[in-house]
Amino acid sequence: MNGAQAVVAALEREGVETIFGYPGGAIMPLYDALYEHPVRHILTRHEAAAAFAASGYARTSGRVGVCCATSGPGATNLVTGLLDAMMDSVPVVAITGQVRSELMGTDGFQEADVCAITQAVTKRNVLVTSADAIGPAIAEAFALARSGRPGPVLVDIPNDVLKAAVTDLASPAATPLARKAGPRVSVDAVRDAVARIRSARRPVAIIGGGVRAGAVDLYRLFTALLGLPHTATINALGAAAPGDPSYLGMLGMHGLKAANKAVQRADLLIALGMRFDDRVTGKPDRFARDASVIHADIDATEFGKIVSADVTLHGDLGATLQALVDELARGHVPRFDDWAAEARSLGGPLPSDHVEDSVLSATDVLDRFFAALPPEAIVTTDVGQHQMWAAQRARPTHPRRFATSAGLGAMGFGFPAAIGAQFAHPGTPVFTVVGDGGFQMCLPELATLRRYDVPVKIVLIDNHNLGMVRQWQELFFSQRYSATNLADNPDFVAIARAYGIDAYRLESPADADHLIGRFIAASGPALLHCACHPTENVWPMIPAGMSVDELMEARR
Amino acid sequence: MTCELTLRDVRSVARIVNLAHRFNCRTTHIAAAVGDAATTARFAFDGPPVALTRLRAQIDRILEYDV
Repeated sequence: MNGAQAVVAALEREGVETIFGYPGGAIMPLYDALYEHPVRHILTRHEAAAAFAASGYARTSGRVGVCCATSGPGATNLVTGLLDAMMDSVPVVAITGQVRSELMGTDGFQEADVCAITQAVTKRNVLVTSADAIGPAIAEAFALARSGRPGPVLVDIPNDVLKAAVTDLASPAATPLARKAGPRVSVDAVRDAVARIRSARRPVAIIGGGVRAGAVDLYRLFTALLGLPHTATINALGAAAPGDPSYLGMLGMHGLKAANKAVQRADLLIALGMRFDDRVTGKPDRFARDASVIHADIDATEFGKIVSADVTLHGDLGATLQALVDELARGHVPRFDDWAAEARSLGGPLPSDHVEDSVLSATDVLDRFFAALPPEAIVTTDVGQHQMWAAQRARPTHPRRFATSAGLGAMGFGFPAAIGAQFAHPGTPVFTVVGDGGFQMCLPELATLRRYDVPVKIVLIDNHNLGMVRQWQELFFSQRYSATNLADNPDFVAIARAYGIDAYRLESPADADHLIGRFIAASGPALLHCACHPTENVWPMIPAGMSVDELMEARR
Repeated sequence: MTCELTLRDVRSVARIVNLAHRFNCRTTHIAAAVGDAATTARFAFDGPPVALTRLRAQIDRILEYDV
């Protein structure tokens, strides 16, 4: 067995069935080991897409996503995807080829110090210097990617190490990480939290991406037990039970009015597995000024980072919620139904721009699309206006059925992430909602759809603009539309068809329901091109660095 | 702010210095002794209180992953 075969054996030990990648010189021994091997390699058309596909796979399945690339440019093309995984706590393992050991430091062909480059975008990285070290390194990478707050880990392996013989064939010992127990939430802190819940009059729960760590059922139990009004960050959409009347919708810059106003009026925030991102809080010192804060997270460095907490619950979110429920059950269980009804009344219908009847409105298209989706559907989005419109309107039935680049906001994410999601869930309908800007960052992945006959369906909201930047230019930069006009977009339908993908052209509102229905029912990959109004904006909006008091519902 | 750390990965010393620079903190002292299994490093930083707090939190995260 050589080093490359040891990589594949280590992946098999981790239960890996699918990896996403792109070959090149330094990593050729690994591709040779993959030839006719049961571990399935999916060839994307760019390494960035491989990283995003691994992320989509991981986000929607809970399993570790794996991507691989060659040295130099191959490895550096993974960087954005790794940072995206870091920001959104997604377990991804990247394996990169490196130039031969003797060439390292010579500015050799396709040489890059990828460990230095990725130090800030991974939980950890390792340069493997001997074939015997490959098995333990990969075992540790998977353990670290999964453990605590999940995230990306990179394993860099020089070409000569991939080719060298493995002399120690023993299974890698359990790593220190695998043996390390996670933090256990403090009993005293749980009692303090429950005492504050019992004495609160207007508590609101905020659920974040931490709910994906197997805490969905307990979160639903916790909120239902109390009749608690609750809201979600974009990474936790789907955490609320379908139809839960106490759920107020998404929170934040483009969140729903009821959610933002309820948080602002709360006397107690119960922040669960969320990190008070600036897109959620706006100006932190004006965020929920009257509320005391209970903050639960697996990552203690989140406590006090943006918002000070009165009670911190450090531990696994599922265990924390179980402890809260158990402690509540030992005494009085308050109900907050009246406050939940009041909180709901703070909202109203989603505001949207008036678009003339003959022109396609993106919000109208997405309203119709999400109303027609089957409940088991998985939706990914790209980044921009369509992302926010989708997040406002989507009603995923589980947080693993909605995936978006939330923290990093990486354009070009949505489409390859949907490919990854489809490989994780072969029998499930998978859709991606993209804009004309981000879609053009990953157009060649249409070839990936065709090659593997992946039945991902693409909803392209084409407004001939980099819409979100255009919106900010309109509102905050005196309508100086610098570099946001995409009036010269190509014919996306023709492009899709050139790749052998079915494509539908939606231009008139009168055709919307019919075409959306045909598109959703299509058996294979398909594109729905929606030629939308160019200047429709996302509402409501809390301008960056402002508070709910400055919430905008229309152009001023 | 001073901190004395035991690091499994000696590269974390450089990472911490880079973070201090990013947060507008000044690294005023570094001393490190590299052993077979771990590196013992002592740092001193100057900077705005908020930046030092942020730096300390990031150092804690590095330690969490440096196992």
